[in-house]
Amino acid sequence: MFLGAVVFCAGAASAGMTDAVKTETLPNGLKVIVLENHKAAVASFNVFYRVGSRNEQFGKTGISHLIEHLMFKGTKKLGPEEFSQIIQANGGEDNAMTSADYTEYFENINRDRLSVPISLESDRMANFDPREFTKERAVVAEERRLRTDDQPEDALDEQVRAAAFVEHPYHWPVIGWMQDIQRLTLDDAKAYHQIYYSPQNALIVVVGDFNADQVLKQIAEAFGSIKNGPKPPPMPEVEPEQQGGKRVELRHAANLPAFEEAFHVPNLKSPDAFPLEIASEILSDGKSSRLYKKLVVEKRMVVSAGAGYDMTSFDPNLFVVSGQMRPGVKTEAAIAEADAEIAALRDHPVGAEELQKAKNLEQAEFVFSQDSILQEAMMLGVYEMLGSYKMVDRYLSNIDKVTAADVQRVARKYLVADNRTVGVLIPTGVLPHQMGGGGAGGAVRHAEMIGELGEVTR
Amino acid sequence: MNRRHYGTLRFAGAALWAVMVIAILAPRAHALQIKRMTLSNGAVLLVSEEHKLPMVTVSIAFDAGARRDPAGKAGLAALTARCLGQGTKELSAAEFNQKVDFMGSSVGVSAGRDYAVAGFTSLEKYQGATLALLTGILVEPGLRDSDIERKRAETVAEIHAQEEEPGYTASVAFQKALFGDTPYGHPQDGTADSVAKLTPADVRAFYHQYYKLGSAVIAVTGDVRADEVKASLEKSLTGLSGTVAPQAAPAPPPLAKGLDAKLIDRSVQQANIIMGFDGIARANPDYYKLQVMNYIFGGGGFASRLVKIVRSENGLAYSIGSVVDAGKFPGAYGIRLQTKNASANEALKLILEQMRAIQQHGVTDSELEGAKKFLIGSFPLKFDRQSAIAGFMLGIELDRLGLDYADRYPKLIQAVTRQDVQEMARKYLHPDAILVVAVANLKDAAINTTMLSQVAAGDADAARKKQ
Repeated sequence: MFLGAVVFCAGAASAGMTDAVKTETLPNGLKVIVLENHKAAVASFNVFYRVGSRNEQFGKTGISHLIEHLMFKGTKKLGPEEFSQIIQANGGEDNAMTSADYTEYFENINRDRLSVPISLESDRMANFDPREFTKERAVVAEERRLRTDDQPEDALDEQVRAAAFVEHPYHWPVIGWMQDIQRLTLDDAKAYHQIYYSPQNALIVVVGDFNADQVLKQIAEAFGSIKNGPKPPPMPEVEPEQQGGKRVELRHAANLPAFEEAFHVPNLKSPDAFPLEIASEILSDGKSSRLYKKLVVEKRMVVSAGAGYDMTSFDPNLFVVSGQMRPGVKTEAAIAEADAEIAALRDHPVGAEELQKAKNLEQAEFVFSQDSILQEAMMLGVYEMLGSYKMVDRYLSNIDKVTAADVQRVARKYLVADNRTVGVLIPTGVLPHQMGGGGAGGAVRHAEMIGELGEVTR
Repeated sequence: MNRRHYGTLRFAGAALWAVMVIAILAPRAHALQIKRMTLSNGAVLLVSEEHKLPMVTVSIAFDAGARRDPAGKAGLAALTARCLGQGTKELSAAEFNQKVDFMGSSVGVSAGRDYAVAGFTSLEKYQGATLALLTGILVEPGLRDSDIERKRAETVAEIHAQEEEPGYTASVAFQKALFGDTPYGHPQDGTADSVAKLTPADVRAFYHQYYKLGSAVIAVTGDVRADEVKASLEKSLTGLSGTVAPQAAPAPPPLAKGLDAKLIDRSVQQANIIMGFDGIARANPDYYKLQVMNYIFGGGGFASRLVKIVRSENGLAYSIGSVVDAGKFPGAYGIRLQTKNASANEALKLILEQMRAIQQHGVTDSELEGAKKFLIGSFPLKFDRQSAIAGFMLGIELDRLGLDYADRYPKLIQAVTRQDVQEMARKYLHPDAILVVAVANLKDAAINTTMLSQVAAGDADAARKKQ
């Protein structure tokens, strides 16, 4: 880790944390990235597959995430959940994550045991053979109930995304629609795995306390002979430009109203990404941020408010501003205050000190993110899938170049009413009788929006 | 560097059972070198230098957690901690926040159940300035009426928001039913009613009574030098002299009478269930044996029986696990899960059966070995991040584990036998005297307490007839 020496040079562009990275591409197309980090006697082994809900088809949503679960349910050699049991018996921790863009599996383990996840991950890439399919599908349905159906703000987020994206698969949630989840079959999963879990569609990133050359050799031996399946089909969908503002309402079991505003924005393939990142910092990073000062401290309208932007989305995604009301506050009044803050970004250039504060926050967070080898591995992996892990080193210098005029320009271009989807959560109370009889069924709370969108997307 | 927030993890139980793996040992001599010193004001200082990354983390634990809340003033510890973050006598809250954010640092005070922890994370180049801000809010806090009233209103609103979470509602009800009016019986943030009644005078009095450096522990890790840290703390962390009087341990709560069900009706898709009994304090010598038992029973993720039976084999829950919540005082031994309303009875029955099974038949050699290997082998993973290292150091001092804890721990775990595990299951699991809290759509869940009582009592035949 040479980060300390580098990060603090103004506009450091020539050197960085990735200087010590070693890479290799195996003959079957599997790319491997390794980085020595001797901070602690541990290693983080990460396998990424370039597949997420973005690659799914209408009617089969949630299959990427279901496969993530099934990857633990057995191979030709191992029984269900034996994967995790072996990792844990070696003192390791494992988990996996599915996003709209990719699926990641990781094991954090003592450096002496790194050969264990190497051999287990190679086994489940080559020998996928899940058992207990219907039980695991039921587990995923429980996960959806837990994360979305009983979480009003997450249910609102799902509806906002579904309204904002019409043609692009970011329309549906990563976990999938409940009805789709319940109809997925083992054959669906096996066919999907064949296509997307090939070495050519995967990426391995290892960070930790080891000898990089030795680890590269071990990985080549374990993964080198795995054969590729068919090439994944291209994902050509581009979301057309939004032609005017949209509004969705969600009636849901809750006490407090909430709102979420979403604007279509580009990802890091556009130079506008860095000014947008700064805009999100100015709006909501820290207790001196504009949304916190206005909506929480001064107007006392919301429990919390925030802005979110992720430039590492594979395709252009959303810039989101959201808030949860305090009891008795009118949602429209809080939206008006949030909009006034967004308008201020369009109408006035950000002051020099405020701009510098945002850059300083970025710089500190960048360093803090190196504190965990898992986070470091994730960062390398995500940037590599977007083009090159080396982009990590250009991150801060790109942030540093952003001017007040840039921030104003992107705010005027993207953070405008015609490009906006507003979602409003209308609480129906948390007691069953308050639901007017609607509380007993399945995920009927999405009915309004699905009906509305159904005509557009089918 | 915003990370995408719409990913979805395979298993969320980790947070639940991470509690138990607070400290476990490296198979080989590991890198964590801790220096222990005492400041002239009596505070104990632990420093672990780590120079590979230019950042610093400082955590200071005060004997000012929610267990210190006076009767009728639930939430006072939490509110006091929040108010301390609102600037100094010289800096307004807004000026303070501006200075913190401009350096990209994070500074805060928050009260947990046992201790309040004040601390910061900063870049190395800003450690001096950030430390000055932290000591400023501790030594000369603003504690202005207007800020206290503002934080009070925010807290009340946040409690209303939390109460929408079925899991939060279940936790609060479980704690209250189990611990009643004792120090662990109320929610750490208080209730909306109790917080609304707190006054600025209450906050200032709590601060003066419990933020005493003679009872504080300071953990520092990162790109620092121990001697320099000590010198600068001696200079800036002044006043707050004296110690906090010890707090008497509460009498243990009475055993539940049979299966004691507290059912809360909500419009939710899933029943949020917490079940359990009172458990042990951290200082209880059974702690290590109980950790091993708990790993096998329900704390060890996919290696545990509860996850195997309830999740993997029956598909009834995404998240299920058990926790030994060992605090300064005895906390709960709890099992937590969410399952669709209609499966609540089935899941509860399976869990009760597993309790009786581990009591009657104990565990296998391979389960015991697996638990030991994880508990001992995963120790180095605890030192991946500065915040975790700081927390580990605070634990060593507050729980009087000693600087050689890392060397002793594997021996303590290794010594546990199958007989010990079975004894722990018999001593601490009480299927026939169990508190069950469920926040559910009660019409759909139709929780059958008669049937469950029979399962709990081991009367399988009667239970089957009742189903």
